[in-house]
Amino acid sequence: MTTLLKSSTGFVKHLLLFSQFEIKRLLMTRKGAMTVLTFAVVWLLILYYPIRLASSLVMRGQQSVDVFRIFEFFGFDFLMIWQIPEFGVFWAFALLIFPTMSLFLAADQTCSDRELGTIRILALRSTRERLFFGRFSGAMLVQTLLILVALVCTLLLVMLRDPGLFAEGFNSMLAIIVNLVITILPFTAMMALLSSVLKSARQVTLWAVLILMFLSGVISIFSHYLPVLGMLKHLIPGYQFQELGRLAQWDTLQIAYVPLLQTLVMLAIGYWLIRRQSL
Amino acid sequence: MINSIIECREVSHFYGSLPALSNVSFELEAGDPVGLVGPNGAGKTTLLNLICGFLLPGKGQISVFGQSPGAAGLIGRIGALPQDSRFDPNFSIGQQLVLYGRLQGLNAGIAEQEAQRVMDAVDLGNMIDQKPISLSHGMVKRVLIAQALIGTPDLVILDEPSAGLDPMNTRTIRHVIQQQSTQSTFIISSHNLDELGKLCSRVLLLDKGRMTPHQIHQGDAVENASQRYLTLVLESYPENDVIQRLQEINGIARVSVTQKNEYLIEYDALVEPAMDLKVMTNLSENQWNYKQLLKGKSLEEQLFASHNADR
Repeated sequence: MTTLLKSSTGFVKHLLLFSQFEIKRLLMTRKGAMTVLTFAVVWLLILYYPIRLASSLVMRGQQSVDVFRIFEFFGFDFLMIWQIPEFGVFWAFALLIFPTMSLFLAADQTCSDRELGTIRILALRSTRERLFFGRFSGAMLVQTLLILVALVCTLLLVMLRDPGLFAEGFNSMLAIIVNLVITILPFTAMMALLSSVLKSARQVTLWAVLILMFLSGVISIFSHYLPVLGMLKHLIPGYQFQELGRLAQWDTLQIAYVPLLQTLVMLAIGYWLIRRQSL
Repeated sequence: MINSIIECREVSHFYGSLPALSNVSFELEAGDPVGLVGPNGAGKTTLLNLICGFLLPGKGQISVFGQSPGAAGLIGRIGALPQDSRFDPNFSIGQQLVLYGRLQGLNAGIAEQEAQRVMDAVDLGNMIDQKPISLSHGMVKRVLIAQALIGTPDLVILDEPSAGLDPMNTRTIRHVIQQQSTQSTFIISSHNLDELGKLCSRVLLLDKGRMTPHQIHQGDAVENASQRYLTLVLESYPENDVIQRLQEINGIARVSVTQKNEYLIEYDALVEPAMDLKVMTNLSENQWNYKQLLKGKSLEEQLFASHNADR
């Protein structure tokens, strides 16, 4: 055995290997191809209609009053606080679409491996925590890749309107990618946690939807009797969205501590669970 | 120096309130393949899952190569065929085997070579690019055995390796185990005692969650000073005639029927050291055809005759 060893089996190495494999799953399997196709269609529609609309309105030089009124009419007046309106529209859609995609894309982190028994074959060559965090980082990498593709397409659209906006556009793009990655972290961590206890990706998605839809209401009811329980709402992914939507560029990082804290809590619980369960 | 690879100390495991293992203690040294036998529900799979780290013991301590099961230090040192495990249906067998090799620390090129080597070993080298769905049940089993051999781990645990395999493939797997057993210590759980008898020199017997270690007496190894055994399998002949004629041979103390057409001959090696030749001559004189003549007791006799007597 020792004569065959050529590289390390360290924690980071395993995270990289698991993440690489998830990228392969996205790009080289039929299921992954369907995901990419769905993603492309959704973003093509968003780029072609709302983002192009914002672009063409700005190109007509009506941004001062009329554009503001149109966005205000639809309740999207906050979009105008972005230096480049296309990215404002992108930000508004991305805050809805990427966390929702997370509920599907990141649902099957360890559950089907556990059901198939593949997790045992993997666990002999890694450790439970490496597998858990490796799958989590793989899911994050896949989503980051998709965010990057959508952002680059938006930047290209902006440059078609005005090539001189590259520097500003690139800055907005960086701000969005950092923020979106932070935003989807707790959603992906919640899926990692649920995936470590539930039996299928469908169950994981279903539970995640139920948690996001009803947990806030349940906490509100209990906090009516015991107000301190209201603090638990901070643990629900997306809790900061209302506030986040009204911030632009790098200001959005002001409340990044909320999703980061949520991620830490979710991953800690998931890690605790997977260390104690039978494979 | 004792080269202990597994140490179990008073290990118990429960499923709910049902005990699967009760205070199992044993120590296993590196060397020849070890058989793990016992009836259904005896706790064999539970024990193997505990050694692999898939389950956490309810009570007691297990150490594998001096470390807790599942520890990072054991990566690449244990290979296993776990029961009821399948491959990821979305990737080809080769892609998965290469990932396993790379997780074990092999670089990409060597991992690919290892994947091909282990697939060739189970006669499925041409199926490496196929997805699991295109393989038959027997093929999947062989590929699962192949994955356990990647990187030639120090310990290979096979849970029911021959279950569901045809005789030809069982022979292939036996050959693979025999070849690799010079570099790895195998633990093989099986109900196929003939197969274990051919492969193993040591057996762990589990029954109702309790463990009894056995040393298999290969050939006509001495059980006491001069008492030896032969196991004879004949074609169908009248049992009484066979017993009577065999007992006429000088030195044979007792002939008993262990199952249909199978006889256990107990003899005194001091009176007749070459008893096998005497028996063959006797068979020839009586024009009886034999199927098998085995020095010593069959594994089944070694394990269960004494086990049943103990009960």
